Amino acid sequence: MNQLKFLWGLCLACVLMVTPSSQWQPPAQTAVDTLAVQLDGRKKPLDTVARETVTTIHGASRYQLASGDVLDAPQTYWSLWLNSRDWNDEPFILVNYRPLKAQLGLPLEQKHFSFSTLINSDLGLILQQAHTKQLQEQPLTRDEREALTLEDRLNLMLDTVGSQTLPLVPHPMDIKGTWVGIADAEQLYPPEMAAKIQTQFEQLNQQYQAQGDDLESLAEPAALLQQSLADLSPEIYPAMATLQREAFFNHFHPFGKAWKLYGIAFLVLLTSQLVPSFNLYWTGMGTFLGGILVQALGFGLRMQIAGRPPVTNMYESVVWVGFGIAALAFYFELQTRARSYLLAAAPLAVVCLLLADSLPAVLDPSIEPLVPVLRDNFWLSIHVPTITLSYASFALAMGLGHLALMQYWRQPQGGSTATALSRLNTRVIQVGILLLTTGIILGGIWAHFSWGRFWGWDPKETWALIALLCYLAPVHGRLAGWLGQFGMNVASVLGFNAVLMAWYGVNFVLGTGLHSYGFGTGGSAVLIAGLVGMDSLFVLATILRYRSQQHRSASSSVSEVQTADA
Amino acid sequence: MVAKLVRFLGSIQLAVPVLGAIASILIWATFYESKVGSLAVQQQIYKSPWFGALMFLLAVNLGVSTLSRYPWRGARKVGFALTHLGLIVLIAGSAAVIHLGVEGLLLVRTDQPANHLVRVEGELLEVMDDQGQVQQAAVMVKPGQVISPHQFAGLTLLDYSDNSVETVDYRAGDATDSPAVRLVLSSDRMGQTFDQWLSPTAETVDLGPAQLELRQAENQTDLQQLLADPAQTQAHPSGTLLIKLGDANTSLAIDDLRRHDAVINDIQVHLLNVWPDFRLDDQNQPITASQDWQNPALEIEVTQADLQERWFVFAQAGPILAGDESLLDLDWEYQVPPPPASDYFRVVVANQNLYYAARSSKSFTSGPLVMDQMIQPGWADFKITLADWLPHGKRIQERLTTPPGMEGVPALQVASADGQQWLTWGESTLIADGSHPKMAAFGPRMLALPFRVGLDDFIVERNEGSDSVAMWTSQIRIEDLQGESAQRRSVWMNHPTWYQGWKIAQASWNPGDLNQSTLQVKREPLWVTALTWNGALLTVLGIGVMFYGPTLFKKRATALERPNEPIAAKPAPMPLAPQDG
Repeated sequence: MNQLKFLWGLCLACVLMVTPSSQWQPPAQTAVDTLAVQLDGRKKPLDTVARETVTTIHGASRYQLASGDVLDAPQTYWSLWLNSRDWNDEPFILVNYRPLKAQLGLPLEQKHFSFSTLINSDLGLILQQAHTKQLQEQPLTRDEREALTLEDRLNLMLDTVGSQTLPLVPHPMDIKGTWVGIADAEQLYPPEMAAKIQTQFEQLNQQYQAQGDDLESLAEPAALLQQSLADLSPEIYPAMATLQREAFFNHFHPFGKAWKLYGIAFLVLLTSQLVPSFNLYWTGMGTFLGGILVQALGFGLRMQIAGRPPVTNMYESVVWVGFGIAALAFYFELQTRARSYLLAAAPLAVVCLLLADSLPAVLDPSIEPLVPVLRDNFWLSIHVPTITLSYASFALAMGLGHLALMQYWRQPQGGSTATALSRLNTRVIQVGILLLTTGIILGGIWAHFSWGRFWGWDPKETWALIALLCYLAPVHGRLAGWLGQFGMNVASVLGFNAVLMAWYGVNFVLGTGLHSYGFGTGGSAVLIAGLVGMDSLFVLATILRYRSQQHRSASSSVSEVQTADA
Repeated sequence: MVAKLVRFLGSIQLAVPVLGAIASILIWATFYESKVGSLAVQQQIYKSPWFGALMFLLAVNLGVSTLSRYPWRGARKVGFALTHLGLIVLIAGSAAVIHLGVEGLLLVRTDQPANHLVRVEGELLEVMDDQGQVQQAAVMVKPGQVISPHQFAGLTLLDYSDNSVETVDYRAGDATDSPAVRLVLSSDRMGQTFDQWLSPTAETVDLGPAQLELRQAENQTDLQQLLADPAQTQAHPSGTLLIKLGDANTSLAIDDLRRHDAVINDIQVHLLNVWPDFRLDDQNQPITASQDWQNPALEIEVTQADLQERWFVFAQAGPILAGDESLLDLDWEYQVPPPPASDYFRVVVANQNLYYAARSSKSFTSGPLVMDQMIQPGWADFKITLADWLPHGKRIQERLTTPPGMEGVPALQVASADGQQWLTWGESTLIADGSHPKMAAFGPRMLALPFRVGLDDFIVERNEGSDSVAMWTSQIRIEDLQGESAQRRSVWMNHPTWYQGWKIAQASWNPGDLNQSTLQVKREPLWVTALTWNGALLTVLGIGVMFYGPTLFKKRATALERPNEPIAAKPAPMPLAPQDG
């Protein structure tokens, strides 16, 4: 019976994944999406270029026109590329740093501005100052760094609108040779071959200008153009399956689906807990497994596309931690049937994946070639996944810690649920300690090869060790009898701050050291600090409530003794 | 008492505060590092004796706690022992890595021979005392601070500036000090005004086209000579020709050679031509461009029996034979005094009075010089004013941090019995230090490798269709010091090569110069590597056995009886919303 319910949940997940509603399943890709482009060091489908460009400039993958119509990323990109709107005056470019807006005299509440507005503002002066400082190797202010980011957006806008140089024409014989734009095809091919693709491109352009944003109508001329381009250099042009795989990955958006499934599973499991008569536990488990599978599929596809290990930058680490939390929780749940792991894990996995999905400016999802230090490396593929899995364990422990503290809030004297949750929590912390120790040591071995020393007190190394100590100290304190179950739960919540620092803070707060390939220009620090602060307040309140209860029960037991004596 | 102490050293009551203390120090250290840089933190914290002592205390705690729980029965205790012993080994190994490893950067170039001098972290201070004894110390510095050592070879190390310029000032001194004057130079056309101290003990100040100097005249003749117009004085000497014949050197005055040939042994030397400022004209014929002695050259004919050779001898570039091969064992050197500066402003002190001589290419003026007198030497629209005159000026040397955009040099400030002094990077400086003068040199700390490394080629691979770098590879050649054998290797990121126990890895490159590559060279004793790796293995194994051994070895029953048993929870369904809540 349980197996049936489990399968039912899994099927529900599968159905949700493939249901052809606009929310869940965008239309299938055509040659419009799969035209190959050589950009930023790799060959990719036009669909990826469209999404990356629009997200970089606009900060979101959809653009709402003044008329109220919404364009998706490919529609917006084609309109930019083939210059079908007045992009000079469309408020399309993201400016989200308020002090910079204030300095430029722009309305603070507005998020997007037109190219002409920005070009006519004082941005040029700030940029000039920033460039002078860069030349003199002086540190830049936050305003100047944000202005440089904005300059990148403006440059990308200039490169995209009406671009004649988008590298669509493959190199004739060199697999790593530089591709050229359609207009420059004569540089690589005889005039008659160049003329053919130029004519086909012109037909595509005319069709687009006639049909507007209906990209599906371009399928036929785009397919003809793609065939001609592939025929120019069949050995060099990427296989159609490769291009379709990446376009599918973009359209299917497995990480976006996964969080929805985790969310549904959470609701189902919560219902089954609150209303035991419904008994939806196994259905929830099935749906949750669906989420894990779709996320695993996503990682599989991403690894195939990028041709490298799953975790190489901040975005991938956030998604991977979400995956780790879900997979570990599912494993423990299967082992113990404790009915608590998934309830703690699902919201955390959803938060991770939602963050990864909604902050493209901070967590950049684009697949770019690796920097040399990370390349050609066996250790990268085991050190980083191990260490981030340990972060996932500690995140899960933090979730369980919260559940347990909520129980203590309701029942400060503890109770069977709180005790059971505390035990589960300890098991997860143990996994985290083992994984983090292993991860640190694997990192040391890699550092031995790469930097010539096992340990060198680099800030990232040091913080990984601090995080480990922040868990080891309470574990030993528990053995010494200084911490009870309640204390361990508090430690699992507070200790996660050290993990956050090791994971995120070193790159964005400290910003020094050898692990600089993970560094970026900050952002969301205030948000994260705020969340951490609020959470600490909750922990503090629970501690006070717990202690006052302990105090009361101690004094009542004393008075009972005194009464008995009397 | 001893038993009590040992019990405390191995107790968990000591372990927790030590772990907490280490964590707190490390947290503080990383924030401190983001302010002061890693070199300072490495020296002040991670490599400091007190931090070492703290780690040692942790190792003692781990060791005593492990040994005191012997015999280790059951998977949990075995795991516990493995973990804790592994950690001791790991701590020892990591400390050895940091303290015993030798590491540096080796710059190699494709257009230069193999190099064996490695630049090691820190600078080197070398002090030679009046007995000729040399002492060396590694100096760790950061801008505004000497990190270590603070005392060395009788000197106190006070300050360090990574980009500084030397400024010189003069104050009224005692009778032993030489005179000093301060001139203010200004040009409206160039929008420049600056002042300059002059002293007879200091070097001539070179302003590019013109020179400033202060000279002392001993007597009236001296004064007249110093104030005379150089154009009126005698012609520039033509110099001498030094002939090296085998081991014997013969010096011949050019003025004599102009008059008659010289004969040395059986060789006849005949002077054909003298060019004070040698050039080749449009027809490639030698001419003199001017009568200024800027590039003097001679043409000489030598004859021995029926052998005859013709030589061009340049004062600056040396001799060149006109012909294929010299059959005579001859070498030449042409020595001419350098031409006088065409433009100068000379202040002369004589009998407590000041005089000046100003020369430009167009004019010459001279006369007495008084305070606030303004003189136009004839260099563009420059005006020179006498702003200060100290009959006895004491030289005060100061070091200023160079303003952004200007090039300075690093310098180290030291104090001796005689006061404070700056040592300029890469130069030796005399330190008076009472009756024991010393020579001190402050410069890069280098380490000589037992082999040389040369760069055959440097390959930069780029990502397709882009300028971003995919990988850089150094193709190196490792030679022994005698240059007898060479091995060719390639090193690239994450792929170092090992040679005689030294690891050679790709460190960095110069995007503006692809003939150059920087390699990291590192050596650590094999036992250190073995120690860390074994410690690492033991620790991971130990944690695994401690946490999961009991389950795996089906000894759960034993584990469940433990008093603090948080490990293996009994699987039991737990409703989140308990009925009693």
